[in-house]
Amino acid sequence: MDDSEYTRAKRRRARNLKLWLAFLLAPPAAILIIFVFLPMASAVVYSLYDWNGLVRKEFIGLDNFADILFNPNKNVILFNAFGNNVKVFVTLMIVQNGIALVLALLLARNPRGFRFYQVVFFLPVILSTVIIGFQWKMFLNPIFGLVNKALHYAGLSEWALPWLGLPETALPSMLLVNSWHWFGFPTLVFLAAIHRIPKDFIEAARLDGASEWRIAREIIWPLIAPAVTIIVVLTFIGSFNWFEIPYIMNGLEGSPQGSTDMLGLLFYRTAFGSVSAGGSDFGSGSALAVLMFIFIFIFSIIATKYLTSREVEMS
Amino acid sequence: MANIELRGVSKQFGDVKVIKNVSLTVEDNEFVVFVGPSGCGKSTLLRLIAGLEDLTKGEIHIDNARIDHLAPAARGLAMVFQSYALYPHFTVAQNMGYALRVAKEDKASIDKKVRAAADILQLTDYLDRKPKALSGGQRQRVAIGRAIVRNPKVFLFDEPLSNLDAKLRVAMRIELTKLHRTLNATMVYVTHDQVEAMTMADKIVVLRDGMVEQIGAPLDLYNAPDNRFVAGFIGSPAMNFFAGKVEGFVEGGIEISLTEGAPLTFPCTGSGLSIGDAVDFGVRPEHFCIGQGADGTLKGEVYAVERLGGETYLYLSSSSQKELVVHMSGDHQVAVGDHVEIGFSIAQSHLFGPDGQSVR
Amino acid sequence: MEKKRNAGFETWLMHIFLVSTAIIVLYPIFMMVMSGFKTNAEIFGSPFAMPKSFNLDNYAVIWNTTDVPRYLINSTIVTVISVIVLLITGTMAAYAISRYKFRGSIMVSLFFLAGLMLPLRLAIIPLFVQLKAMGLVDNLMGLIMIYTAMSLPSTVFILTGFLRSLPSELEDSARVDGASELRIMVQIMVPLITPAMVIAGIYNAVPIWNDFFFPLIFIQTPENRTLAQGLTSFFGEYSVNFGVLYAGLTLAALPVVAVFILQSKRFIAGMTAGAIK
Ligand SMILES: Nc1ncnc2c1ncn2[C@@H]1O[C@H](COP(=O)(O)OP(=O)(O)OP(=O)(O)O)[C@@H](O)[C@H]1O
Ligand SMILES: [Mg+2]
Repeated sequence: MDDSEYTRAKRRRARNLKLWLAFLLAPPAAILIIFVFLPMASAVVYSLYDWNGLVRKEFIGLDNFADILFNPNKNVILFNAFGNNVKVFVTLMIVQNGIALVLALLLARNPRGFRFYQVVFFLPVILSTVIIGFQWKMFLNPIFGLVNKALHYAGLSEWALPWLGLPETALPSMLLVNSWHWFGFPTLVFLAAIHRIPKDFIEAARLDGASEWRIAREIIWPLIAPAVTIIVVLTFIGSFNWFEIPYIMNGLEGSPQGSTDMLGLLFYRTAFGSVSAGGSDFGSGSALAVLMFIFIFIFSIIATKYLTSREVEMS
Repeated sequence: MANIELRGVSKQFGDVKVIKNVSLTVEDNEFVVFVGPSGCGKSTLLRLIAGLEDLTKGEIHIDNARIDHLAPAARGLAMVFQSYALYPHFTVAQNMGYALRVAKEDKASIDKKVRAAADILQLTDYLDRKPKALSGGQRQRVAIGRAIVRNPKVFLFDEPLSNLDAKLRVAMRIELTKLHRTLNATMVYVTHDQVEAMTMADKIVVLRDGMVEQIGAPLDLYNAPDNRFVAGFIGSPAMNFFAGKVEGFVEGGIEISLTEGAPLTFPCTGSGLSIGDAVDFGVRPEHFCIGQGADGTLKGEVYAVERLGGETYLYLSSSSQKELVVHMSGDHQVAVGDHVEIGFSIAQSHLFGPDGQSVR
Repeated sequence: MEKKRNAGFETWLMHIFLVSTAIIVLYPIFMMVMSGFKTNAEIFGSPFAMPKSFNLDNYAVIWNTTDVPRYLINSTIVTVISVIVLLITGTMAAYAISRYKFRGSIMVSLFFLAGLMLPLRLAIIPLFVQLKAMGLVDNLMGLIMIYTAMSLPSTVFILTGFLRSLPSELEDSARVDGASELRIMVQIMVPLITPAMVIAGIYNAVPIWNDFFFPLIFIQTPENRTLAQGLTSFFGEYSVNFGVLYAGLTLAALPVVAVFILQSKRFIAGMTAGAIK
C-alpha cells in the first residue's frame, strides 16, 4: 500500500461519518422544514397577495396589512380584540400567577400533605381545555348551572347572574376558569425554582432573624428570576394566542357584544370565514397572523432581555 | 504479542497543537508509562494510538504494520478508561463480553472467556451484578476484565487508578504488574502519578507540552535526567535547584559559582557553555547530608520539620533560597529555628545549562 | 410568647389557604364525576346530592349511541404514533447535535431551537393549503405530522441536554469494543436516556392528546375526529341531557387522569421540563 491508500482509507471513514450524521439529521430536519418553516415563511408570502377563497390572485404588497389596520370598519374589531387580549394578559399575570407564587411559597415550606397538594394543583393542568371549558360552561349555565344553584341555596338569589351572557361578567368568568385550569403550572415552576435555591441562603437569613415576608421578597424573589421570566413570557404568548376557552364557552364571535373577542378568534373568522366576517379571506388572515407573530416575537425578546437583566447568578 | 511504533505523530485541535512530532517505540511485552503534568497531551497520545482521535500528521505501526487508518476495533487493542466507562445498564458479564458479542462470537465461547477473565480477577461472584452495585475496586477490575476478555495485542490504560483511594491504589498497582507478567502483553499506561510510573514501568516516556522530554528506564531518568524539566518532575520531593554562573574552564570540567557557598568544579565533557552563562545546579533532597559535605556545604535556617519516624524532611531557607528540602532516613533531632549546615557531593548532583539541558 | 402565637397563626392561615385551594380544584371535578351518574331530573332537582344510584346508564348511552368511543381510538392513534415518531426523530437529531463535533453543528442546533419560537397556529392557512395539496386534510396522518413537527424542537431541546451529560468515555469504550456508530447509539447511549425520553414524551403527549385547534381545522368527517374535537359535536347533539354530557366529560378525562395519578412525579417533571433550566 502506498501513502495515498492510507489517506483514502481515512477519507472513507470521514465520509461514512458524514453519511451517518446526514442519516440522523435529515428526517427530523425534513419534518420541521415541511411542516413548520415552510408554512411560516408562506404565511408572509400569502399576506402580500389578494385571495379569492382558496385561489391566489395578484400581488398587492402591503394592502392586506393596510386594510386590517386602517379600514375603519375592520380595525374597530381588531382593536377591540387586541384590548381584550391585553386584559387577559394583565389579569392572568395578577390572578393566576399571583396565586401561583403564593402557593409556591407556601409549598416551599414543606407543609404536611405536600405531595397531595402538588398532585391536586397539577390535576387541572393535564386536563384538556375542551373538557374544562365545557365543564365550566355547564356549571355557569344561568338556570341549571351549579354556580347559580349554589347561590340560590345560599340565599343569594339576586347574585345569580347569567355569567357568560353579560358583557361585564363573561370575560372575568372565563379568566377565572383559565386560572383554575392553569395555576398549577406556574406554581410548580416557581416551586422548582425555589427548591433550587441553596438551603443555606434561606436558613442563614432565618438565623439572622429575617421575617418570612422579608425572606420571600429579598432572597427568594430575586433568585427565582429565571423562572419568573419564563412564566411571564409563556403567559404572554398564551394570552395573545388565547382561543380555546372563549371559543368553547362563548363561540367564535366573541359574544356578548364582542366582550370576549380575541385576536385568535378574529384570525380564525377572517381566515376561514364566519357569520360576521363572511367568506374566508386567506390574504387578510395571513396578514393578521404575521402581525400577531411580529408583535408576540418582539415582546418576547424585549421581555426576556429586560427580565434577564434582573437575574442574578447564584453560584 | 506486539510492538508499537509512533513516527512523527502530531495532533492539532483546530489551531491548537496538542501533540508535536512525537516518535517513540514500545517493544513487545513492554510496560511503558506516559507521564507528564496535566494537559501535556498524555491522554491524547493514547487516544491517537487507540484510534479514538485522528492523526494530523505521522504514522502509527503495530506489529510492523501501519494501522493509523483503521477503526479502533480493527487495531487489536483494548483500553481501560479513568472513569472505567462500564455500561451502566449491562451486568458485569455483559460488560465483559460486549466486544465479543459485537464481533459475533458464539455464546458458549463468550461465556468461557468471560469466566476465565473473571477467575483471574476474582469477579466470578459478581458476574450478574450491575456496575452500580460494585465497589470502586471491583468496577476497576471489571474494566480490566473487559480488556482481558478480548485478548488484545496491546493494552492501553488512561489513569486507571486515579479514582481509587490510596490503599486500593497500591494493591491494584501490584496486581496490574502481576497481570502484565501473566498475560505477557504490551501495555501502555498513562498517569500523572510518578510513583506509579517509577514502580510499574519498564520504560517511562516523559511528556511536556505535547513533546517527548525523555524516554528511559525509571532509574535512568532518576539518575541521569536529560534536562531540568525531567530532573524536577521525576523524584519526590522535587529536586532543589540553585542559580549559578559559569566562571571558567578547567581540565575535564567547568568552574561555577553559586549565589552562596564556595565555587565548585563540575566535571563534564564539551559542555558548549561559555563564561558568564547562567546555569542551574540541582541536588535531590535525599542527596543532602547534615554537616560538611564532600564537595560543598550550604547553611540554612529550619522553618519546618516533618518527622515520620522512618524518615525526616527538613524545610530550610538559606540566604539565596526561599525553600530547600532535605530528606533523611531515620529520625533526627532538629528543631524549627535551628541553623544547620547541609552538604552535598558533586557525584550526586546535576547541572543544567541555560537551555535547560543537562551538562555532562 | 407573642411571637410563637403569631407563628402558629401563620401556619394556620397557610393550611387554610392550601386546603381551600385543594377544595376549589377537587370539588368541581368531583361534581362532574358525580353528575355523570345522575339523571337530568336529579341534576336539576337536587344538584348537590349524591346520585341515587351509581348506575352506568349515561355511559351506556355514550357507548352505544355516540361516536365517542371512535374519538377515543382516534386520539389514541394520533397521540401514540406522534409520540413514537417524535421520540425517534427527536433522538436522532439530538444525538447528532450532542455527540458529534461537525462543521455547522451550532447552526443545526439553532435551526431546531428556532422551532421553539414559532407558534405554528399562526401559519395555519399555508399549512392548510399545503396539507390539502399533500392529501393530508381530513386524515389522521396529517395531524400526526403536524404534532410531530410542532413538538420536535422541545424534544430535541430536552434530549440534547440529557445526551450531553453522558460521559464520552462510554462511547469511546464501545468504539474500542468494535461497536458501529448505530450500535453505540441504540445499544449504549439511548438506553441511558430513557428517563429523559419519558419526560419529553409526556411533555408533548399531553398537549397532543388535549389539542383541539388543529383537528378543528383539519378534520371534517366524524369518523376521523379526535376526542377533544369530537366533544364539541357531542355537546351539540346532547345539549339538553346534562347527565350524559357530564358522563362524557368524565370519560374523556379518565385516560389522562389515570396515567397522571399513577405517574404524577414524571408528569410534573415532564410538563414543567421546558420551563425549568
Ligand atoms: N477534543 C479536544 N478538543 C480540543 N482540545 C482538546 C481536546 N482534547 C484535549 N484537548 C486539549 O489538549 C491538551 C492535552 O489534553 P490531554 O487530555 O491529552 O491531557 P492529559 O495530559 O491527559 O492531561 P490530564 O493529566 O489532565 O488528563 C489539553 O490542553 C486539552 O485542553
Ligand atoms: Mg488525561
